[in-house]
Amino acid sequence: MWRFDRRLLLNFDWVLLGTVLVIGAMGLLNLYSATFMAASYGTPLYLKQVYFFVGGLLLILAIISIDYRRLITWNYPLYGAGLLLLGAALLLGRTVGGSQRWIPLGFFNLQPSEPAKVILVITLASYYYRKDTGKGFTLRELAVPVLLTLAPFLLIMKQPDLGTALMLGFVFVSMTLFVKLKWLTLGVLLTFCITTVPVGWMYFLKPYQKQRIETFLNPEGDPRNAGYHIIQSKIAVGSGMKLGKGYLKGTQGHLDFLPERHTDFAFSVWAEEWGFVGSIFFVATYFFLILWGMNVVISSRDKFGAILAFGIISLIFWQAFINLAMVLGLLPVVGMPLPLFSYGGSSLFATLVGIGILMNIRMRRYLAPM
Amino acid sequence: MVLRKRRVGTRIDNIDDADLLLLKKRVDIATMVIISLIAILIARLWYLQIHLGEDYSHQAEENRVRVQVIQAPRGIITDRRGTVIVGNRPSFNVVWMKEDAPNPDEVIKALAGILHLDIPVLLDRVRAGSSQPPYMPLRLAEDIPWAELVYLENHRYQLPGVRIEVLPTRQYLNDEFASHFIGYLGEINKKELETRADDIYQGGDQVGKTGVEARHEAQLRGEKGRNYVEVDVRGFEQQQLQVQEPLPGADFSLTLDADLQQAAERAMAGKAGAVVALEVNTGRVLVLASAPAIKLTQWAGGISQKDWQALLDNPMKPLVNKPLQGVYAPGSTYKIVTALAGLSEGVITPDTVINCTGSLFFGNRHYGCWKHGGHGAVNLHRALTESCDVYFYTVGQRLGVDRLAQYAKSLGLGAVSGIDLENEKAGVVPTKVWKKQARKESWQDGETLSVAIGQGFDATTPLQICRMTATLANGGTLYRPQYVEAVADADGKFVSRFTPLVDGEVKGSREALALVRAGLVSAVNEKHGTGSQARLEGVLVGGKTGTAQVVRLEHYKGVAAANIPYKYRDHAWFTCFAPADKPEIAVTVLVEHGGHGGSAAAPVAREVLKQYFAGKIGPSEGGQPLAPSASEPAGDAD
Repeated sequence: MWRFDRRLLLNFDWVLLGTVLVIGAMGLLNLYSATFMAASYGTPLYLKQVYFFVGGLLLILAIISIDYRRLITWNYPLYGAGLLLLGAALLLGRTVGGSQRWIPLGFFNLQPSEPAKVILVITLASYYYRKDTGKGFTLRELAVPVLLTLAPFLLIMKQPDLGTALMLGFVFVSMTLFVKLKWLTLGVLLTFCITTVPVGWMYFLKPYQKQRIETFLNPEGDPRNAGYHIIQSKIAVGSGMKLGKGYLKGTQGHLDFLPERHTDFAFSVWAEEWGFVGSIFFVATYFFLILWGMNVVISSRDKFGAILAFGIISLIFWQAFINLAMVLGLLPVVGMPLPLFSYGGSSLFATLVGIGILMNIRMRRYLAPM
Repeated sequence: MVLRKRRVGTRIDNIDDADLLLLKKRVDIATMVIISLIAILIARLWYLQIHLGEDYSHQAEENRVRVQVIQAPRGIITDRRGTVIVGNRPSFNVVWMKEDAPNPDEVIKALAGILHLDIPVLLDRVRAGSSQPPYMPLRLAEDIPWAELVYLENHRYQLPGVRIEVLPTRQYLNDEFASHFIGYLGEINKKELETRADDIYQGGDQVGKTGVEARHEAQLRGEKGRNYVEVDVRGFEQQQLQVQEPLPGADFSLTLDADLQQAAERAMAGKAGAVVALEVNTGRVLVLASAPAIKLTQWAGGISQKDWQALLDNPMKPLVNKPLQGVYAPGSTYKIVTALAGLSEGVITPDTVINCTGSLFFGNRHYGCWKHGGHGAVNLHRALTESCDVYFYTVGQRLGVDRLAQYAKSLGLGAVSGIDLENEKAGVVPTKVWKKQARKESWQDGETLSVAIGQGFDATTPLQICRMTATLANGGTLYRPQYVEAVADADGKFVSRFTPLVDGEVKGSREALALVRAGLVSAVNEKHGTGSQARLEGVLVGGKTGTAQVVRLEHYKGVAAANIPYKYRDHAWFTCFAPADKPEIAVTVLVEHGGHGGSAAAPVAREVLKQYFAGKIGPSEGGQPLAPSASEPAGDAD
């Protein structure tokens, strides 16, 4: 296996690593601004995030040293482990803000829904890769991936964590559309989605989740409670104007008007302090990361790599898009971190594992199939 | 993308070209989707940060900057000599900071004991303020006594969320001193807040409700200061941004003479009525007293329903500012008008003699004189001195009501004087036209007789009678009564100063005025004069008594005054001027249900005059008294 050491090193994806480091650096800079005012006990959050980042990079090193094609055979054990963790979170998880999302590990609270997203990508990629006949999938063949997605989806909905659960749906849809589908299948699926949305609204969403969507549609209707997040976030972003208020000078963030400003609403702080110019720079960098990921898809040596890379890219992109759209008041508030930018170990680890897999695929693009 | 130059190793693909083409196509579609979604984000960023950036900047500022109001001390009110009548002192209020202690239950329980207040009272206050933001102090108790303040300060750590707020509050020379004139302050009500659209006032502000305090509210209140503080979302103060100091209100120096006012109020103790004193040559108001007084501090924290009802039910009507809001028949003081009109119109001369037999038969009824036995042959001098009714019936009859009214009006009767105070009454000077309009009836000639002696439709305020007396005394100039000597702004610069205002000249000759004055001097100083109780050693006083019938009840004829129910007793008038040769001051006294003017009202006027001339006229300067002070009073005359 170490025969290819030299070529692997030469093919190492420095551009991807560089882009990730730039986004991560912006995230750390921003995290410091968002939290340096707050009274903290023990390690400051930005330092913790640095540790997570270093740990994540080491994890990348471990991941790229093993050929990604092994994941084809590891996928079901991984999938099983993911479901187990989700079950554990429900049984012995810590309740924070009304939902059971965390498993306390002493030094670190693991949020199993984060690895579950990556595991689902691997599982679906393996399934589609193995079952691909080149003629397109039928509705019956889709039953298995639907079930594979539904299991973690329901467990996460139970926590409840609407944002993450929806993300599994987005990833499933993206990956399924990416592999070849029969036109009939596509038509049936579309019809099904259109009819189930009202049913889901009626029976599956919890009252607070419905309220969030209603509030989003009319935030000024309830300014002191649920609409508060959206209004304050828009004020923060808007008041940044062209050039921003300056680093460490944002008032919305430092005076605590912004909720969740180090996690889900981290970008509000960034937009307030760096203005339109800084926001565009951030979005452009992120856009480059996604485009580079698409490049990895096309250049992968086999179909498994392509599907897997596409799944990872779609996972990162959808999270980023939904988070930004929410922060900018375009979508209702759901729990959704901005990958590589928001504070949070679980999300960062999961994202860096994904980045590691991308690098892995990219490095081995010229290798013979196993 | 695939056609890279720099290749390391040979690409061995298991993706065939068809597959690759398919993948590329899908990646292209995905890329298009991504680009359009990112375009939406960028457009949104532009919309929020560039297009609406200004708006959101303002909102962010409003979020972080809290404006605290600093109350301005109200202007000080002094009398003409600089004696402070109304000043300011710090008051200590107990406020509750919701943000420091969100649960009021324990605080209320503790405070109720310390402040000796009922828990429901405190709860009402908490409930009333439940809608205000948590950083706004909620007032629980006002102006607490020293002992409670000390206790609270010593136990402040046991009472989280409770703070002491220091506010300037009014301090009065005396709670009841010139109370109607000065007026009280009260909390601004919802209606006042709504009608005053400017942002000068906020709920809880104290504003002038009556008297000088209300009339000059705009100048007295000053300008509030503002403290701009940066706060976080919980309302905790981060730093001070800017302070705008409050501007104290303008100081008012009144023409009022505190010593005279005090003398008047002392003399009116236990009585109901009014005392007015004017400077005859300027119209300066020296005394403006209404009895019984009200307690100015009673309104400070909002008057209780019980106290309010008690004031309403009081037969002495303490809520009426009687010098200008009380309307009474002028009684015999009106004979000044009748005499002046008669002389000026030539229907009588000083020597005209009219025989008084005790009554005058007119139409088909008898018009009685107060002296049932009759005065005999009476000339003008005697008629004024002894207040002979039959004489003035005759003069009135000769004049007719409309000619009489012209003189009354030129003396300021029947119209508001223009003193700058609220709710002044105009009274009535009857004419034939007036009766037609007001009563839809034509004038009866007999009514002229009643009017000529100040009964019937005649209605005047004590201020009008005093102004009339001042006009008589100064030789015929009708000055407007004014009470502001000077207004100085916070820097001590005078904003305005007193200037006399002339509203007109009396219709009537100088000679006639002099003759009437002489008659009034006799009324006080001659043997049978009705106003002998106003006689003052060293100063020659001229005055006229008056008795205003409240009801014409034959039933009480001849009954001793003390045996008539209070509300049916006559009102007692006395109006006078002094010194007789060169008048300076006019004093008018009305005692409600006081009986006869000579005995009830004249002594009050005498006290005011005595105070006025105390120290002013030494023994060397003093004129000799015209009549011995020991002379018998002229009966319970009028």
